[in-house]
Formats: sequence, C-alpha cells, structure tokens
Amino acid sequence: MRRGPVPAVDDPRVGLLLALADDELILGHRLSEWTGWVPYIEEDLAMSSIAQDEMAHARVLFGIVSSIDRRDEDRLALGRAPEEYRNALLCERPNGDFAFTLARHWLYDTADAVRLESLASSTFAELRDAVAVFRLEERYHLEHARAWFERLAGGPVEARHRFAAALSAALPDAISVFEPLPEEQALLSDGTLPEPSETLLGRWLGEAGQALDEAGLDYVLSGGAAEPGEMIPTSAGEIAGEERSVLRVPGVERRDGRWMHAGSFAGAGGRHGRHSEDFAALWGEMTGLYREHPGARW
Amino acid sequence: MVITESSVRAALASVMDPEIPAISIVDLGIVERVAIAGESVEIDLLPTFSGCPALDAIKDDVERAARAAAPGTKVVVRFVLSPAWTTDRMTDQGRAALGSFGIAPPLLRVGRKPACPYCGSTRTHEESAFGPTLCRTIRYCDECKNPFEGFKTKA
Repeated sequence: MRRGPVPAVDDPRVGLLLALADDELILGHRLSEWTGWVPYIEEDLAMSSIAQDEMAHARVLFGIVSSIDRRDEDRLALGRAPEEYRNALLCERPNGDFAFTLARHWLYDTADAVRLESLASSTFAELRDAVAVFRLEERYHLEHARAWFERLAGGPVEARHRFAAALSAALPDAISVFEPLPEEQALLSDGTLPEPSETLLGRWLGEAGQALDEAGLDYVLSGGAAEPGEMIPTSAGEIAGEERSVLRVPGVERRDGRWMHAGSFAGAGGRHGRHSEDFAALWGEMTGLYREHPGARW
Repeated sequence: MVITESSVRAALASVMDPEIPAISIVDLGIVERVAIAGESVEIDLLPTFSGCPALDAIKDDVERAARAAAPGTKVVVRFVLSPAWTTDRMTDQGRAALGSFGIAPPLLRVGRKPACPYCGSTRTHEESAFGPTLCRTIRYCDECKNPFEGFKTKA
C-alpha cells in the first residue's frame, strides 16, 4: 500500500498532525547534518541527540496519522511530494554557521514549548498523550537552547554580534511557526486546538521578547539602533554597542512595553505547503533513497 | 499449565534492556499492563525515550518470552504512550542494578543526588545532558575526578 493512491480522508486532524510532525522531521533532518561536524564532542552529541528526539516525535505523530488514513510511516515521512509537507519555513533553512543553528534552536524550541503546553489540553486524546511524552523530552532541548542563549548573548563581542545577526535573520521565519493552519476553524470548534495560533504567537512573542529585552538584544525585533559607543551590560561585563543594521521584523511591534504580533505573517506559507528553494534541496536528499528504491527497508 | 498474569510477569522479569543488560524491563518500569484475554496475552509497554532504537528489540524479546511462558496462546505486544514513562517508575532493585553496571541511577523527584559509581561520593555534577544514548547523561565526580554516565532523569 506504500505506493497506492492517497486515501480520500478528509479529517482536519491530519493537517495538524502533519504540521507538527513535519516541523520535527525537517528540523531533525537539518540537525542531523551537524553529526560529526560540530566544533566539539559534547555539542556533537547534543545536536545528534536532539535530531534523534525530533525524528522520533515525528514518527509518533505519523503513527497517529496512519491510524486515521492508513498511510504507512515511511510513506508519510519520505513519500510525499514537496508541496504536501506542512513544516514552517524556519525548520527548512540551512544550518548556516553555528550561531544561526543556535538562534534557530532557541527560537524553535521556545515556540514549540508554547505550542505543546497549549496542546496538552487538547480534546484529541492520542495527541494529548503524545504531547505529554514529548514535553518530558523537549525539556532538555529547551534547557540546552537557553544555556546557549545566555552564553552567546553574554559575549564575547563577536559571539554576541553573530548571534544577534542570526536571530535577526531567523525571526521572520520563526513567527511563521504560528501561521494559522488551513483547518484551524474546524480544529478549534471541537477543541482539538485549545487556542488559536494567533493567541499562541502573542504568548510566545511576549516571552521571547522579554528574554531579548533582558539580554539587551531587543533590537533584533525592533531594528532600533544603539548610539555609537553605547555600553551594553551583559553577563560577561559591559561591551560596546554593536553597529546595527536597521532591520524590522514585519508584523511585530512593542505595545505598553510588551512585544506583540501586529498581523502579518512574513515567511509564511509552510502550513499550506509553500516552501523555499532551501526545501527543494533538502527534500531531494532526504527522500532520494526512498524514491530510488521503492520498498527498501531499513 | 495455568497461564496467569503473574506467570507472564515473572517471565518478563528475565527480559533485560538490550543496551543496559544489567536491568530488566520490569525493574525499568516499562511493563504497564499484562492481561489474559481468552486465548491471548496482551502486553502494553511504555517507551522510555521516544527515539530509543532498542524499542523494537525489546518488543521482540518480550514476544519471545511471553510465548515461551504461555505456549499456544496468541501474544500481542504494543507500545502505548499513556501514562508517560518517567524515571520514578524504576524499582529500587533496578536503580541498584544500574549503579553496579557503572551508570548512576536517575535523580529522584524527592531525594538525594546520584552517587558516583566509582567512589560513592555525591559531590558530582552534570557535564553534558546528552550522552552516548538518549537515556544517558555525562557526569563528573568532583571527589575522585572521574567522568561517568548517569541515567537521564525524566520527570
């Protein structure tokens, strides 16, 4: 049944499960590209372990999809056309340098934590059970991401500059983790989704914005420039203010001291199956063996 | 021979974790349910970590052990996600077995820090939350200056 026609199942829960699973699958694939290449052994283990966890979570979710529409796990993971993948664009971006990988890691895992916390009260029992397990495992990803955030935001100067530049580059895509699903209304009406994506986005931006404020990195959201020579307090002591390119994350603004989402979804499209050029290359490599050797087992 | 839940459970006590052969799956706390339903034996297991590559091997071993203990019956083994497995399901015997294997047992929700498996000191700290397998961390003993592995706390 692996290569048979896609069964006609019109269940809005499949759209949600695939969005969640594809985020984990594609990010897991990207992180696995670091295996053997990270600057030192503990981080190599961390990236590989996190990749392994994310792919396992995808597999659990594909298992739930399979129980609904009978497509097998391998076919769900590797046998879909590019436009059938629902991951957020953030997850498909190339790893870049280590700063970008860690910026994406922090943005994704803090966003994922907000999403999973909400889904813990879903009316969809199988998803709720899976989410309870995921949260116990994601806790270690979050601690890892936060430790690196503190470390890089605290300097030295080059580390902080590169981390800030990476956060700026990744932020518009991070917002699209919360791009509303095409099936959102149906999922909200029966409590499968306890809260709208927009509510979760607001909550995440508030939390992430606060962390950026506290680290003196809020300019990656606002694009406001520091005065030349201004000193910024960090955990490693005061460092000179960086030269900032004026950059603004579309759809984000500060109201009454709190970072809010103001409406537009830059970098959106993933939830509707629209992807970047980066995805085409990733898809080609990830699914190559499956396409070349139908029925291969591993 | 009468096949009962307890006779099947007794058989499962000899199924060891393939990656840490000192601890049985019963002491690991992953055997959630054993039921005799007519002509079949149903066994529900809880995955320790979702991405553990030993899960398939554990399932095969459980099927084999259950078939030997209940000949002629149908054996159905499956992994379930509820309740979520946590390290406090591990038995005291299992914690002791990990220690003797050289892996510090997981932290308890309430209680003391894991002791160094070499010298017994609790003056230890975590070096890396990620280790050679998903369920292990790398710790360091500040007393005898040895690195060691610890079972990752899941709670």
